[in-house]
Amino acid sequence: MPVDAKHLAARRELAQGISAVERPGPAANQRIQEALAASVADARNALVVGLTGAPGAGKSSLAAALADVARAVGRRVAILAIDPSSHESGGALLGDRVRIDEHPDDDGRFTRSIATRGSGRSLAHVAAAATILVEAAGFDLIFVETVGAGQAEIGIARLADVLLVVEGPEGGDEVQAMKAGILEVADIVAVNKSDRPGAQAAFDRLRSGLALGAGAPELALVSATAGAGISELLATIDAAGAGRGVRGRIRRVEAHLVAAAESHVDAQVREATASGALTTRAEQIVAGAQPLTGSITALFGISESPDA
Amino acid sequence: MAERTTPIRVLIAKPGLDGHDRGAKVLARGLRDEGFEVIYTGLRRTVDAIVAAAIEEDVDVVGCSILSGAHATLLPKLVASLRSSGASDVLVVAGGIIPEADRPELEQAGISGIFGPGTTIAEVATFLRANARRR
Repeated sequence: MPVDAKHLAARRELAQGISAVERPGPAANQRIQEALAASVADARNALVVGLTGAPGAGKSSLAAALADVARAVGRRVAILAIDPSSHESGGALLGDRVRIDEHPDDDGRFTRSIATRGSGRSLAHVAAAATILVEAAGFDLIFVETVGAGQAEIGIARLADVLLVVEGPEGGDEVQAMKAGILEVADIVAVNKSDRPGAQAAFDRLRSGLALGAGAPELALVSATAGAGISELLATIDAAGAGRGVRGRIRRVEAHLVAAAESHVDAQVREATASGALTTRAEQIVAGAQPLTGSITALFGISESPDA
Repeated sequence: MAERTTPIRVLIAKPGLDGHDRGAKVLARGLRDEGFEVIYTGLRRTVDAIVAAAIEEDVDVVGCSILSGAHATLLPKLVASLRSSGASDVLVVAGGIIPEADRPELEQAGISGIFGPGTTIAEVATFLRANARRR
């Protein structure tokens, strides 16, 4: 069946909505509020699953494999794939669709590539707002995929109902290095590429390493490309997300408010840097002409605590 | 006209059956460095898949790389399908091996820019900035 206007109209409306909330302002806020109202009215209860991990661990392939399994039982599935923008040019190369099969005539699927734009090393500022719009459009399982680096892992942990960390079969030194970071906030750790040598060993290392701590994450050994362990992993995800109730949507609004605050501060910092106000203020502080206290209020409009 | 506040989004697609994507990848990387948000979709995509991806990604431009000689059928079909999907404001451009004699017909069909071998990234970027929809 060829794609046509009627077929793509709903996806087009959602896609344009996401573009609209990428431009912050009153219009974006209104769209987000309308989406929230619609989700409340329709008693939506989307499950937002964060996927993070090192580049090359297979996040896109795993999100696609999970989406296929969920779609096969009639669930409506969206994938939001976040990749970094270049600090130099502001451009981005978003290549996750290469690993996600296209289903042009299936309105039960939606895939969107999102660049971090001015979000620094954080999760894309628009990510939370995008999940709110995607939920309102009737998608009940939403994968948000992001490279786990620095602040992004805190952002995705805040946004997701269930956080899945994806490891490659080479896990060893990298696994050790990340233990204090991502693995502390992970609900599930999946060792991907179980068809490759070393995957079982990486899984065993993780299991022995994580078994010691209280509240240890669930572990899974899967192959996204061979389809091994994917149904079981989806069941584990659903179990981890069960009982979120209305808390899921509140969590998304919290994440959006934090992102909006970060976005505002980032913009103020860029402005003060570009205008030279930051340098001027620093020079004055060095010369003793201005006090340090009050400077971030003067530069960025952030109120300081009275006893600072 | 208001200045754009967000990067121009470009879908780079390889319709048809040829498996040569070096040119497409060089262009994708080059446009990123020119400040575009480039969505790369990989090899051998159908026209329907490209249209659906363009809609979901809400792109301003679809750039097709075709080396197979199938441009005369695929590109007009792509433009027609985008239009019937309500995305008539999306700019469609093409690159690859497209004979001079085929160009008038493609331009007639709504292919806005045709870039042959030897076109620089900067030339493509300048064309897209001048011709992509404003918003």
